[in-house]
Amino acid sequence: MASADKPINTDVPEKDVFALHFLQSLSNLRRQNTFNSPEKTNDRVKKIKKAAYVSMARAAGGTNRLWSRALLRRAAKENNKIVRFPRRKKRVTCLRRRSNRRDPVEEEEAERLRNLVPGGGGMGTSKLMEETAHYIKCLSMQVKVMQCLVDGLAPK
Amino acid sequence: MSGRRSRSRQVSGTSRISEEQINDLIIKLQQLLPELRDSRRSDKVSAARVLQETCNYIRNLHREVDDLSERLSELLANTDTAQAALIRSLLTL
Repeated sequence: MASADKPINTDVPEKDVFALHFLQSLSNLRRQNTFNSPEKTNDRVKKIKKAAYVSMARAAGGTNRLWSRALLRRAAKENNKIVRFPRRKKRVTCLRRRSNRRDPVEEEEAERLRNLVPGGGGMGTSKLMEETAHYIKCLSMQVKVMQCLVDGLAPK
Repeated sequence: MSGRRSRSRQVSGTSRISEEQINDLIIKLQQLLPELRDSRRSDKVSAARVLQETCNYIRNLHREVDDLSERLSELLANTDTAQAALIRSLLTL
């Protein structure tokens, strides 16, 4: 992987990659009998939702991206699993500071964005925007994949 | 390599990120937003607006994932031939 900060790279894998990961997660759920058991509908929905986000993070490059890394870590924590991710090369990230040259409204919006993008809390502004661009692309890809599945499964 | 060198040359006090770089990113983001994608370069959208629309768009996408998860949960629980249908939809992607 290219060093994370130089050429801004927001390329994402093909849709098939997302589809494959998601189908894999779904068939895992199926194997655990998630869909047949008299489980509460709510739990089932939650599991599918989680599968959607986790498989998206895996498809998007696993631990190489800040947002997918944060997302996977959070998911693993929910499962009470201790995970050790390969260490990232320590970079000196520019400290988040209220820079006086930027518009306060802009700062406010950036702050809201930090709450929406997984792992956003620790990112500097330019990193945040790069990760956001990548995250958006992946999310819309995932939505497309899920829509295809729903369309394919719905009775004709 | 050259990137590193040029970076160390930018000795700005507040931040190492150039204004230019941020602007590039803003434009990149803007192109991803259905709401702002089509605005011409001439009518420049403010960075704050782009960030605001980005937040809205992400929220919408999250909501879509929620809805689709619900739909999928129903469909997977009720369709007998879900497996077959899964494969079918995989093939038609």
